[in-house]
Amino acid sequence: MYKIVIPILVAANLFAISNLEVAQKGDAVMSGYEDSVSEMQMILINASGQKRVRDMKIKVLERDGGDKSLMEFLSPSDVKGTKFLSYEHANKDDDQWLYLPALKRVKRIASRNKSGSFMGSEFSYEDLTAFNIDKYDYKGEAKEMVVEGKKMYQTVRIPNSKNSGYTKQVALVDSQTFLTMKVDYYDRKKELLKSAMFSDYKQLSGIWRIGTITMINHQNDKKTTLIWKNETIKNGLKERDFHKRVLKK
Amino acid sequence: MRQLLLPMMLTSSLLAEFDVKGFVALDSQVYLTHPAQKHGQNFTLQQQLEMTYSEGDFEVVSLLNAQLDSYDFFGNEENKRTFIRLDELYGKYNLENDMVTLGRNVYFWGALEVRNIVDGFNPEDLRNDPFETDKMGVMNAQYSHYTESGEFSVIVKFEERDQKMADFPYVYYFFPLFVHYEDTLQSESSRYRPTLYVSYSGSTDTEYAVDYALILQHGYDSQRYYRADDPLVGTPVNFQQHAYLVNKVSTYNTMVVADTLLKVEALYADVIDDPNISDYLHLGLGVEHTLTQLVGEADLGLIAEYYYYDTFESAKYTDLELFEIFQNDLFIGGRYSFNDSDSSSIIGGAVLDLDYNEQSYYVEYETRMADVLKVHFDYRYIEPSKDALTAFHLLGRHQRVGLNLVYYF
Repeated sequence: MYKIVIPILVAANLFAISNLEVAQKGDAVMSGYEDSVSEMQMILINASGQKRVRDMKIKVLERDGGDKSLMEFLSPSDVKGTKFLSYEHANKDDDQWLYLPALKRVKRIASRNKSGSFMGSEFSYEDLTAFNIDKYDYKGEAKEMVVEGKKMYQTVRIPNSKNSGYTKQVALVDSQTFLTMKVDYYDRKKELLKSAMFSDYKQLSGIWRIGTITMINHQNDKKTTLIWKNETIKNGLKERDFHKRVLKK
Repeated sequence: MRQLLLPMMLTSSLLAEFDVKGFVALDSQVYLTHPAQKHGQNFTLQQQLEMTYSEGDFEVVSLLNAQLDSYDFFGNEENKRTFIRLDELYGKYNLENDMVTLGRNVYFWGALEVRNIVDGFNPEDLRNDPFETDKMGVMNAQYSHYTESGEFSVIVKFEERDQKMADFPYVYYFFPLFVHYEDTLQSESSRYRPTLYVSYSGSTDTEYAVDYALILQHGYDSQRYYRADDPLVGTPVNFQQHAYLVNKVSTYNTMVVADTLLKVEALYADVIDDPNISDYLHLGLGVEHTLTQLVGEADLGLIAEYYYYDTFESAKYTDLELFEIFQNDLFIGGRYSFNDSDSSSIIGGAVLDLDYNEQSYYVEYETRMADVLKVHFDYRYIEPSKDALTAFHLLGRHQRVGLNLVYYF
């Protein structure tokens, strides 16, 4: 009997994949874009189905120590020209500035709490920052499952920042492409708060880029969809394209 | 040649971008407590039009502000608050690490919330609500060089503008009825004498990040003073505004400590050419702490600011004669941001004058309707000093409610 069980266990371990490995492979297929320029449309849908549309322009510079990003609001009209500049840091709070065109004022932003709503949407600042493996703890092995006929890995990650709004994130990752298809977010009370559905992936210069994310809030029945348009990568952007001077440009 | 020029012109115009934005606003205020001879309410139509033309690294910006006061339009008692003002018309050229600007425009300097004491580049239009910022553009040239984390700038201002004031029936005409304000600026030197500003600003990449700025100035001061001519019996007293020259050093800084911002604004002015005005110091200290997701997604920012102003020479104009309100004042207030899709917020607080026993309280609510319309409501109450001749004492006890509707395009 032992002679049969032991080889089966060994074989199972050979094919098992850890949560960390899935995250690393997922990160690898999305990395290497160097920089990105895109337009983003945000559609806010309230519980009764009413829609509000927000438009933005986004530039991102991929960096090892944390990305730099510049977001310019195009609508609604009263915030047109407002810009948000962010320098992410792995080991300290991010640097953030907001430019208010009506006052011609650059304001420093202090909030280290990333769990707050971004522009009244169901996305938090934390959801919008680039995925960074070092921001999570991974333990154990990923669970294999079949969803809509596709083999997926279900992985669990625990945010390691005490300022995170989440206690746990459970992701479904395509076993062939290692692209994330869905993430369930659990709040500080360990209850399911939101689910993000990822779709419309496309490859640009061999690198996978996301096209649409729909975030559903299970606690208030609101929904927000983010759609990336006209994205280009490897544009040759430099550090100086994210200098504070660009806020007033 | 024509065959070559036409495609070039077409390509060039295709690469250029032209952007227009602006607003139309209806501003209404009812003064629940006000002097008997002054208006009990006011209605104003305001318009702003901003046009930007950009082609590559070159940009031309124009900003036009217009205002129509209902008393000027319908009534006999003219407030003299109706105007069209070109506040910006400038060209800007961005190079790799440098930038050049020439024309009329508006700058902002400062870190504090209630009063930016170093923000003196542009004069304010005195015809408007004194509780709102309404800067007038000035002619200047700027050259900036950018380092990795900072900016070095030289600015030359070419003009000092007249600050017009509304007429007596308008509630915010601070002088008594018998005082006539003459709005032609008086100065020893020509008003077109250039004022030089040299500044350096930057940010540190330290554990507690700091944004800092230092400005050295030689030329006309932003502080003005008023002087009366010798009145003839039975005629109104004429008040004129005076400008003078200074050497001035200003700084504004912000430090981030977790969810708290620490802010400092300070300036010292060495007066060069005026026998009435003393060298002076102005200081502002601020702290802003944000409590996030207090109720649902709403944040609460708790703000405290302290202001101090002092002159160094006796027998010269004092803070009272200069109408300097923030001379030993404490502000305590807060900003409640709902973080909803309409960007709704409530801001309020109290400014307490620690010298003259004066208090000013206010609360403002703002929200967006249908994406193109913003609604702004405010309530203010001012309890002026009983014995000191402060600006609020001249205004009298004051209570108002205001409603501002703005359509953006």
